[in-house]
Amino acid sequence: MASAGFDFQAMSSSCQIRLEGRDETDLSAAAERAIKEIRRIERKYSRYRSDSIVSTINQAAGSRTSVRVDKETAGLLGFASQLHQMSDGLFDVTSGIFRNIWNFKAGKVPSQEQIDAVLPLIGWSKVNWDGERISLPLSGMEIDFGGFGKEYAADRAATIIQEAGIQHGFVNLGGDLRVIGPRSTGQGWRFGIQHPRDDGQVLVSVELAAGGLATSGDYERYFEADGRRYCHILDVRTGWPVNCWASVSVVAPACLAAGALSTIAMLKQKVARDFLEDQAASALLISPDLALQYVGSEKPFPLML
Amino acid sequence: MNATYSFSTKARMRVAASALAALVLAGCAYNPPKPWEKGNLSKPEMTMAGDPLDQRFVEHIYSSKENASGGAGVGGGGCGCN
Amino acid sequence: MAATKKPTKYGSIAAAALALPGVVLHAENAPESGEVALKYLHYNDSQPGLDRITVSSPSIYLLLPISPRWSLEGTAVSDAVSGATPRYHTAISGASRHMSDERHAVDVKVTRYQERASFSLGVSRSDEHDYTSNALSFAVTIASDDNNRTWNLGVGTSSDSIGSTNDANLHESRKTTEVMVGVTQAVTANDLVQGNVTVSNGSGYYSDPYKEPDVRPNKRGHVIGLLRWNHHFSELGASLRTSYRYYHDTFGISAHTISTEWVQPITPRLSVTPSLRLYSQSAATFYFDPIYDKNVGAPYPPNYFSNPPTYISPDQRLSAFGAVTGGIKFVLQADANWRADLKVEHYVQQSNWRIGGSGSVGLDNFYANFIQLGLSRRF
Repeated sequence: MASAGFDFQAMSSSCQIRLEGRDETDLSAAAERAIKEIRRIERKYSRYRSDSIVSTINQAAGSRTSVRVDKETAGLLGFASQLHQMSDGLFDVTSGIFRNIWNFKAGKVPSQEQIDAVLPLIGWSKVNWDGERISLPLSGMEIDFGGFGKEYAADRAATIIQEAGIQHGFVNLGGDLRVIGPRSTGQGWRFGIQHPRDDGQVLVSVELAAGGLATSGDYERYFEADGRRYCHILDVRTGWPVNCWASVSVVAPACLAAGALSTIAMLKQKVARDFLEDQAASALLISPDLALQYVGSEKPFPLML
Repeated sequence: MNATYSFSTKARMRVAASALAALVLAGCAYNPPKPWEKGNLSKPEMTMAGDPLDQRFVEHIYSSKENASGGAGVGGGGCGCN
Repeated sequence: MAATKKPTKYGSIAAAALALPGVVLHAENAPESGEVALKYLHYNDSQPGLDRITVSSPSIYLLLPISPRWSLEGTAVSDAVSGATPRYHTAISGASRHMSDERHAVDVKVTRYQERASFSLGVSRSDEHDYTSNALSFAVTIASDDNNRTWNLGVGTSSDSIGSTNDANLHESRKTTEVMVGVTQAVTANDLVQGNVTVSNGSGYYSDPYKEPDVRPNKRGHVIGLLRWNHHFSELGASLRTSYRYYHDTFGISAHTISTEWVQPITPRLSVTPSLRLYSQSAATFYFDPIYDKNVGAPYPPNYFSNPPTYISPDQRLSAFGAVTGGIKFVLQADANWRADLKVEHYVQQSNWRIGGSGSVGLDNFYANFIQLGLSRRF
């Protein structure tokens, strides 16, 4: 059995593919194809690239012309629409423009007037989406796939590797993980869940032989002002950051599901546990005082000793 | 004497089968695993298939000493070990 | 039933994610590593005052992954048998079959792996100088969306030709078809349960050319119900494998088989597996006990010549008896690729061990030892 690791940068993250299989050249070939797929998704859905489908849609905002999208994009927009509905409006791909007023580098709390000015431009329910064509009714509205693009890429990369007949390994796109299959010995892979207040420290570990793992945390982008922590996860209804959980990690059959569940759980704040239980999820919630709470099967999250 | 199917004991078998099934299920609630919970089930000793040569050997020996054989799958020919 | 937890299923969000094309691959993959295994098998049996036969049997197994979609498997066995084998009422000692025989058996199976399904086609052939068997089988497995349930379907047919070293003019044959339907279900993260039903129907020559008198029906059907349950004990790291098999055939024989194995890892590399198997069968309707005609004597039953029965057999395999096998197996996983195993079993057949009825009278106990020594290598 050969074993190989591939490290690369994509989607503004450090990424890694770890594979085990019969033949090292097979592993390299599969990893190469997977990385190509990740880069394809990055290009296609980047809002920084003017030729991406996301930019095309956003540039047409307020122009009354709708954009016909390809099948893959239609699938993802359909998924975004379902998430919006299943989260009672909390998960919203139009919320990206909050960044115009919430600048986490500058670390300045916006005024209520500034927030109120942006809120009308946000809301998936305002978007005209019929399953094939999309149009954003107001000039200045934007959508972005930042909420699940990386997770989707991790799943696609894993699928491509599996299609090559490789059954052992995982894909890690900056903490969004998807397991291809257990180690060749049959054991699961062990992943650390980051300490939300101590960068680089592992608080809990997870052993996975399949499925996806994603974590949403208030420590990814945040600033502190007047003794309060302002994180990048914003409630679309108010425009203010959530503050109930330090992080939520979810294990699900696919990374895409894990990512959506962890993000929505952060947004659900006090009812996160009920939401996760309703979704039959396995999750670890860490509160700001570092208390651990499990939902569903505790087994995937053994305490690190 | 005819040798067509007339299994008078079919019902008995069904009773025995369902009794064992009930016994099996009573011991453990029905709670099928999620994909990441299949670590234990993927251990070689937990799969239904076992050591292929061991199984073939044992099947062959028993079929030459006992009347009943088979049940785990189709295939494999007979032998002259009447 | 203690159904304490509600059945686990995906929530709506996970289901929506899984519904997107290309997010997860639902493929039954071919094994990605090949394997070659060698086994040396030794068998010997005895009855009180009589050492019967010894079998030495080397065998080889090969698994070849051809592509992610195809695999090829095959085994070859060669048995060398020596010794006297009466296979008769044990009261009759004269061995009628000269036992210095060889058997060669080969089987090959090719499997195609699809999304959530696999299809296997197998052929096998077994050759002795007085007996040849050819078989063909086709099996399908279909897995559920969550891969927790698998349906197993199989059909098989075999064609045997029977000769005799005692009678050069004996050229007989028989054909058998077999259908199996089963389901394997992951009941919990630690329980795998399987139920199979097999029905078989055959016609042709079923008598034993080496026994006298031996006339059996020229049709035979059987039905088999098999239940298997594997349970993993996480605290002990051990697995308990149990099975129950019910068998009934048109010769009138019903049989029950219960077997259990406890797979206990001792170190990460070494596991030990004690096993126990219990077997019991009733007699065929035409089996006769070793009570012989007063005038003619053995091997003919009373009134055999004045009022001959349609079907008759003295074959001990058709009698009523019970049997117990105790065994132990050691498996050493030397590294990721090399594995060695040793298995020793002792088998005792005794007529009064029949469960739920009395056994056939006048038969000696029967003892056998099986030893297996194996080595396998993944590549």
